[in-house]
Amino acid sequence: MQIFIQTLVTGLVTGCLYALIALGYSMVYGVLKLLNFAHGDLYMVGAFIGYFSIQWFGGSTALIIPVPLLLLFMIVVAGLGVGVLGVAIERFAYRPLRDAPRIAPLITALGISFILEDSVLLLFGGYTRSYNTPAFLPFSQAIHVDGVNIDSVQIMVVAVSIVMMFGLRQLVNHTLFGKSMRAVASDREAAEMLGINVNRTIALTFFIGSAMAGVAGVMSGLAFDQISNIVGFLAGLKAFTAAVVGGIGSIPGAMIGGLFIGLCESFSSSYISSQYSDLIVFAILIATMLIRPQGVFGQPPLQKV
Amino acid sequence: MKVRRLFIGALGVMALASATVFGATSSAHPAKAAKAACKAAIAVEAPFATGPATQLGLEQLHFAELAVANDNKSLGIKVSLGQDDTGLNPALATAKTNAIIASSAVAAVGPAGSQEVQAVGPLYKAAGMAFISGSATNTTLTTSGANTTFFRVVAPDAVQGPQDANYIIKHLKPKAVLLIDDQEAYSTGLVTVMTPILTAAGITVNHQSYNGTDTGATLQSDMSSLVTSQLNANETVVILPWQSAANAQLFGQTMQQQGKQATLFGTDGTDSPGQFTINGTYVSNFGPDISTNKSALDKAIVKGVAKFGPYGAFGVPTYEATDVLMQAISAVCKAGKKPSRANVLAAVRKTNIPAGRNPLGLPIKFKADGDIANAVFYLFHLNAKGTYVPISSK
Repeated sequence: MQIFIQTLVTGLVTGCLYALIALGYSMVYGVLKLLNFAHGDLYMVGAFIGYFSIQWFGGSTALIIPVPLLLLFMIVVAGLGVGVLGVAIERFAYRPLRDAPRIAPLITALGISFILEDSVLLLFGGYTRSYNTPAFLPFSQAIHVDGVNIDSVQIMVVAVSIVMMFGLRQLVNHTLFGKSMRAVASDREAAEMLGINVNRTIALTFFIGSAMAGVAGVMSGLAFDQISNIVGFLAGLKAFTAAVVGGIGSIPGAMIGGLFIGLCESFSSSYISSQYSDLIVFAILIATMLIRPQGVFGQPPLQKV
Repeated sequence: MKVRRLFIGALGVMALASATVFGATSSAHPAKAAKAACKAAIAVEAPFATGPATQLGLEQLHFAELAVANDNKSLGIKVSLGQDDTGLNPALATAKTNAIIASSAVAAVGPAGSQEVQAVGPLYKAAGMAFISGSATNTTLTTSGANTTFFRVVAPDAVQGPQDANYIIKHLKPKAVLLIDDQEAYSTGLVTVMTPILTAAGITVNHQSYNGTDTGATLQSDMSSLVTSQLNANETVVILPWQSAANAQLFGQTMQQQGKQATLFGTDGTDSPGQFTINGTYVSNFGPDISTNKSALDKAIVKGVAKFGPYGAFGVPTYEATDVLMQAISAVCKAGKKPSRANVLAAVRKTNIPAGRNPLGLPIKFKADGDIANAVFYLFHLNAKGTYVPISSK
């Protein structure tokens, strides 16, 4: 039972991060029908912003500000920074290709992914860097019940993720921007004819999706300690799988898909072997594509007759 | 007639004199010219920019740069060093090796990982190029016959595995151990050597694997699951024959996070004072820590490498690997020849550097298979400050 619960905790933490990244994939796909393969690298950039925030405030062992303030600063700066980066990418790389054949922005997205990865490599090197989280958030600040340990970072990751997912749900369902976004996702031309500023809606969608990836990057650095210029690749693939399993374009689908993939990865590592966890996750992706291509929460595409 | 004979005789004498003078000059000239124009290019392959072991790769690169700078000065040669990042990835190493073979390089230092050597060995063999690694330790690299131009200045796993296993049996006295490989040739090779020794001593070995190329959330999921479901209470030692010190640190932190206790025992890939600092850990390494040595050579190397990057024991053997190539090129030039792949390879085979003239403190002389005789491994114990304290490996 102890192993089961500890595995469940690990799976939930991982799943929440996948869900935050998957939401960005899903939102962008919803409004542009674009698989933004650079999204995982935005998560990586967020992780680096968090790392340099720690260094800016004196480093993990000699912080000059209180830890809660540091965490807030990291989340806000990474969210804003990566959000703005996402908007810039949309403006200069994807918008000119909006009416091009779908393969063009797809290839561009892959190109942007490499540009981000290699830019970080060029600027900061390929070192694996450590947040050294235990230095300012010790493991002793944890809940210990019957041999199960849940530390404060894990609790924070789950809490922040839930708040962000709930906030996004409210934003999409109960605000004017949410309505605009849904309208653009449903029919861009019709939305434009109805007076919706499509460019602004798409830019805002990129901002929110990217900001969530940036925050996920910070959370990942805090929870998993290590970052490098390549951490976005695998995380991006897993989040993409989560978005597809949940139903790409569906916000609840991305949330559930992320949690599902995180739990599958964790339980397969614990109960089968960590060697096979990637195999299992990507087998789920293939099975979903074969059995229910639109994913669990996705709607099958309407066909004109 | 007489005058004519005299004239011809004088001409003959002049010709003989000229031949003697110019002959002497010409026989001296090639050596002088060879020394003056002793130019060659070599390359270093290390994971210094990408992949999971950049810290260690940078150490290797910096020590190689220092060796080239020192030997160019002391041997009066002019060797340039090409730098090729391999990311500890056999596919990337293959691409970089093909580029090196297509270049004017006469020999290479590296690559770092055993899996990379396995991938590039046949390429270097086909090109007739010597390549010397300062860290690839898989035993089969020199015994398989596939890498006939491969040399290394470090001991193979066949030395490290028994030494580490015997140390664990004798000093740590576990009843059971958790042994985790990272699915790379280096790691699985060590597991193969250590497991029978531990088992023969009556120790239960719980052998597990994880994917050493995983990153981020997936890596954490691997570590967490290994600690949660595989690290049993009776397993008082966890052996990590890995190539990533950062991953070893993550494993140690995950253990602390889950409140589990066991002594970690890492091998050379985990030797990185900047990254792996779990208190009480043991780390074995093929490179000696020369940072506190008193010899003038060691002091100069420790001081010199600071110009390129921070000192680390992992890079010391790469200094010597580069030094071997530099000495071989110098020997070729001294013999009046222009360095080529063939003659540098032949000169490397004849390497004979005394123990007192290299930082490894061992005589560097290659056996027919490319290994050096009497190579040893060094052992360190990490204290609460994360300092690597050298201890006896016996």
